[in-house]
Amino acid sequence: MARPKDDRNASLLALTSSALLLPAYQCAQADAPPEFTELGMRYSKYDEDDILARKAFGGGSERYEIDVAQFHLLAPVADQWSVALDVAWEDMSGASPWFVGESASGSPKVIMSGASIEDTRTEVSGTTRYYYDRGNAGINYTYSDEDDYTSHAVAVDGAFNSEDGLTTYSAAVSTSHDNIDPTQGSIPTNTLNARKDINSVWMGVTRIVSKRALLRFGLSYTYRDGFLTDPYKGDDRRPDERKEWAASTGYRHFFEAPNAALHVDYRYFNDDWDVESHTVDVAWEQNLPQNFRVTPFIRYYTQQEAEFFYNIEEPGYEHFSDDYRLSAFGAFSYGLRLRHDFGNWSVNFDAERYKTDESWGIYSGEESPGLVDFWRYGFGLDYIFR
Amino acid sequence: MGGPCRLRLEVTTRGAADTAIAAAVSEVRRLELKYSRYLADSLTSAINRSAGTGTPVSIDAETAGLLDYANTAWRESGGLFDLTSGVLRRAWDFKSARAPEQRDIESLLPLVGWEQVQWERDSVYLPRRGMELDFGGCVKEYAADSAAAQLRRHGVSAALVDLAGDMAATAAPSGAPGWPVGIRHPVSREQAVARVLLPEGGLASSGDYERCLVIDGTRYGHILHPRTGWPVRGLVAVSVLARQCLVAGSAATIAMLKPPGEALEWLANLGVPWLAIDADLAMHGTLAPVNAPAR
Repeated sequence: MARPKDDRNASLLALTSSALLLPAYQCAQADAPPEFTELGMRYSKYDEDDILARKAFGGGSERYEIDVAQFHLLAPVADQWSVALDVAWEDMSGASPWFVGESASGSPKVIMSGASIEDTRTEVSGTTRYYYDRGNAGINYTYSDEDDYTSHAVAVDGAFNSEDGLTTYSAAVSTSHDNIDPTQGSIPTNTLNARKDINSVWMGVTRIVSKRALLRFGLSYTYRDGFLTDPYKGDDRRPDERKEWAASTGYRHFFEAPNAALHVDYRYFNDDWDVESHTVDVAWEQNLPQNFRVTPFIRYYTQQEAEFFYNIEEPGYEHFSDDYRLSAFGAFSYGLRLRHDFGNWSVNFDAERYKTDESWGIYSGEESPGLVDFWRYGFGLDYIFR
Repeated sequence: MGGPCRLRLEVTTRGAADTAIAAAVSEVRRLELKYSRYLADSLTSAINRSAGTGTPVSIDAETAGLLDYANTAWRESGGLFDLTSGVLRRAWDFKSARAPEQRDIESLLPLVGWEQVQWERDSVYLPRRGMELDFGGCVKEYAADSAAAQLRRHGVSAALVDLAGDMAATAAPSGAPGWPVGIRHPVSREQAVARVLLPEGGLASSGDYERCLVIDGTRYGHILHPRTGWPVRGLVAVSVLARQCLVAGSAATIAMLKPPGEALEWLANLGVPWLAIDADLAMHGTLAPVNAPAR
């Protein structure tokens, strides 16, 4: 078999790199609308492990689970426009930590809400996007509704490519107005009705650094304002403002011989609640014969606790939360994504295991008894009308 | 595209094949209409008509990309690959066995020279009246790659585009290591001198023994040297395999323009599969069948 070898010769390298700038070789045609209508459906399940008896008053108990069904439609409209419609239905049930108390032995334990939570959420999102010579711009509206929560969000984004097509600059702004209207059940709530607003800006740069490698950077700022307290957690009292910064970077490298791509991503997060976090993602996207692709991935996450996080409430503090999501911890998740394309169809399956522990983090802090481990798996089917 | 063209593809449904084929064919046609020097309303004709008039012609990103590429090929070939050298064909009549008058050749030489071409990202200008750009040296190969890209974009899993001998494959057909393709014999055109399996990438050939000219017992090829204006006395045929048909084509053309010894060395150093046939019809290169002279 005569297979072209790697481009090692200087002349060949010069010719090849010059050729690759031509439109025919720019396989990622980001700035042309999709050529065909695409339809996708997906079911996924999020399933938290039971809480251990030694971490909860009243013995071990089931936690939260969420069933999600999603529908996606993307269609070209005229030459330079596309529209997309995304609808998601979520069914949530189970118990979640209500508050943390001190056990007879002195160790903190969680009091669960009881298997009383039952909620459904519907989210409808519409996007239209305009494609021009060297970029694209989109506007999105999302409405989300559940028993105790409604949200309206608008986002605008744009991307602009450099003249040589090797660098893409992107930016986005979004705003969301949420209304919280807690359902009154067996546990008292922290509010009867409240509002919150979330505004964020994001900008990023993606650079094709070589024929096979791509590098990206992003920066974002989010400002949350309003009722940021969890309405269902006992004595939760959070500031009514939160300013968040995040910086991210990612690297993709395609390897010819194994026909695979390595993805490495890192994200740094910091906010004025003193939460700081690091996320590292590594994925290996392996192409296999017959249009199969298998992607194993692993993620490490670690965060510092919020300045007002305590397991046991100390009287006199203005702000307090025992929410495990604001505690210091480290988490590993690992999983596998599988994809197979045949004709106009594409099927995909993914599974992810998430495990967390206070001792896995790089920050020290009080260990929350409410830390959660979970499974997530999903199955999807896509069709292209061509 | 100056010769028979064909598409071979592997698809699951007939409907998908039709749209994909239409997209590939219209892509080749688009490039032909845009760059052919034989069509009066092509961009190439507009550029050539405006030579020496003082008015540059507007170009798009694709044309600027091709000019950039031609510049790289010109530099890498030490000035041999030159899109302006086509004008020399005015002096040569390959149908007659006669050399032109030396003064006719010399009168054309000032019109040749890539270094004279003035181009920016959005315009190109030939400063002398009578100068000509000829994209023929790269557009057919580029069109093969571009048509293959269209097929890929339309979901065709494996395809081979063959534009009169310049080929681009998207992927090997299922169950086979590659598309079986033959490299034409330079003399008996219907016969293959070598067979290769092309898994993906491009295969391009340069050279045409039949169109050579014999003057005073010396054989001249039809490829003209941009500085002397005379046909090069180099290799008879060269085929190169590379990731892009465009790159394969320029490598084959550059090898044809070099003196034979230098060309063989240059091809060997390139690090890609190749086949060259010299004036004695001896075969060289990694694709040359063992113990099988082209004669």
